[in-house]
Amino acid sequence: MPLIEINNLTKVYVNEEVETPVLHGVSFSINRGEFVAIMGPSGSGKSTLLHVLGFLDSYTDGSFLFEGKEASTYAGDATASIRNKKLGFIFQSFNLLAHASVFENVRLPLFYSDIPESEWEKRVNDAIEIVGLSHRTDFDVTRLSGGEKQRVAIARALVCNPEVIFADEPTGNLDSKSGGAIMQTLQELNEKHGHTIILITHETYTAEHARRIIRIKDGLVESDEEVTERRHTNGGILMK
Amino acid sequence: MRFKHSIKTAYRGLEQNRARSLLTILGIVIGVTAIILVMSLGQGAQDLILDQVKGMGTRTIIVGGGREPAGVSDAGQIFSDSLKKRDMEALERKENTPSVKYVMPLVFGVADAGYANDTFNLTIYGVSSLMEKIFDMPMKTGAFFTEEDVRARAKYVVIGNKVKNELFGADDALGKIIKMKGHNFRVVGVLSERGQDFFNFDEAAIIPYTTAQDYVLGIKHFNRFITEAASEALINDAAEEIKLTLRESHDLTGTAKDDFFVVTQVDLAGRLSSITSVLTIFLAAVAAISLIVGGIGIMNIMLVSVTERTKEIGLRKALGATYKNILTQFLLEAVMLTGMGGLVGILLGAFLSWAIATTITNFTNIAWTFTFPVSAAILGIVVSGGIGLIFGLYPARTAANKSPIDALRYE
Repeated sequence: MPLIEINNLTKVYVNEEVETPVLHGVSFSINRGEFVAIMGPSGSGKSTLLHVLGFLDSYTDGSFLFEGKEASTYAGDATASIRNKKLGFIFQSFNLLAHASVFENVRLPLFYSDIPESEWEKRVNDAIEIVGLSHRTDFDVTRLSGGEKQRVAIARALVCNPEVIFADEPTGNLDSKSGGAIMQTLQELNEKHGHTIILITHETYTAEHARRIIRIKDGLVESDEEVTERRHTNGGILMK
Repeated sequence: MRFKHSIKTAYRGLEQNRARSLLTILGIVIGVTAIILVMSLGQGAQDLILDQVKGMGTRTIIVGGGREPAGVSDAGQIFSDSLKKRDMEALERKENTPSVKYVMPLVFGVADAGYANDTFNLTIYGVSSLMEKIFDMPMKTGAFFTEEDVRARAKYVVIGNKVKNELFGADDALGKIIKMKGHNFRVVGVLSERGQDFFNFDEAAIIPYTTAQDYVLGIKHFNRFITEAASEALINDAAEEIKLTLRESHDLTGTAKDDFFVVTQVDLAGRLSSITSVLTIFLAAVAAISLIVGGIGIMNIMLVSVTERTKEIGLRKALGATYKNILTQFLLEAVMLTGMGGLVGILLGAFLSWAIATTITNFTNIAWTFTFPVSAAILGIVVSGGIGLIFGLYPARTAANKSPIDALRYE
């Protein structure tokens, strides 16, 4: 059973009775353990697709099976629970809580989980260690560099041990060196820890770190293919 | 989400905007301070009045001429000269009033008292020598007039401490002659200073009632009978005996209305305290308006805060916060704000009323006591917390209803 299976998915925004179709019937499936990049120019509908797949937004028609269950059958608090337990999010602009420490930021999803409080500290420290920020645990996040901030966000996405990590343009606000390091971390999470990763990007270069690229254009799947020459990072420097 | 963490989260939210939080609660602080102040001072005033009434003696029963008017249209039916000499004789007969120990007639009026070039406007009380037995009347100098003096219509006067000071200064007053209503009175006694009391004896001249009726006031009736029950347990019996005796003496039968009234000290205390209570509640209600204004201020600031933190709300939702989690977070922020405001207001109000009580006691001879109004304090906390809940609800709902993607996109 695929982790995510969408069939003829459509999304129409209705704003003041004006209908704006964004997704025109998208179909694909993603299995556990995959590293998929969803690519497309701005306005292609890739962000909308991420929001639908991330249980942040509803879809208009078609079907979206998550772990074999139709996503539209979840409602309200149930979607909050799915987001908390099964999904992790990494955003372009990090979205960290200002004036809070690395530890506090990574702990945030646990507040909304049913994981016993006794496990929190270990989980937070483990997640921080995976992203290599153990020496910064008590730092206020405003004192961190952009790359470090994004690592905090990755640790936060990991802390509830999700099925899928959504990364929405994770390198968009970073220089190429820190960006490369982030992509390396994502690759490690996929290869060493077996996390399913769905990466949203508009850069081919970044997308080629994934194993598979789904190209979206004008609300439709343009292509869906394995990456033949996958990019790897070496010591944080991107190898072309 | 555990409640403990909700509280921590709310506290962090407030802490990040400390100056704004402090300014926001000012309205609540002022409102609660005003309420505590009013209630505390009201309680102090009530205690003071009750203290004075109790100073009359717990066994005292006052009988007045005429009827207490039941309304404006009733005023015509009052016969204030209804208490006569034969009423007194009837009340004094033990077979009529076995539970009554003393019956003292009282007449009063105002007059200017003159000595040398000084005059002083005072209250004249015409009483019998029972005065000393019913009221505790320590003398500074001299002695009270006797029953002999009363019968002889002696022009003797016992003056209050302030009267003595105004007319004689540091000089000895005993044996001197003061002039009231064209008659010369010999000062036979000076009362010790009493401070604020129900009858204000410090500014009074006490003379035999016979003298007062014939020479000073020119009346045949009495204004009051001050009576004393034989014991506290017999107060109600005594009051009943007095009523029956007077009805018989006035030939009132069946449903004819009394042309006199009987008030026990307990009645009087109850009546006065209900007046001060009503006044206190009224003033507190006025002060409570500022709480509502404060609440609107909180709502306004919370709405701004919710808009500012749209992104944070979106993030929390993306990470798994439910509608209830976000609602709780913002409601708690509002309730903590107003609760803190309430707490500060209670402390400030208590301090101010303590300061006022201390000032009054130190700079006047009024024994004003400071009372911390526990019930008002509890009310203050509950009401201010409630205001947070009511005025925080709308902003909190606005926050909780935000869609996570709209919130995340917000810049």
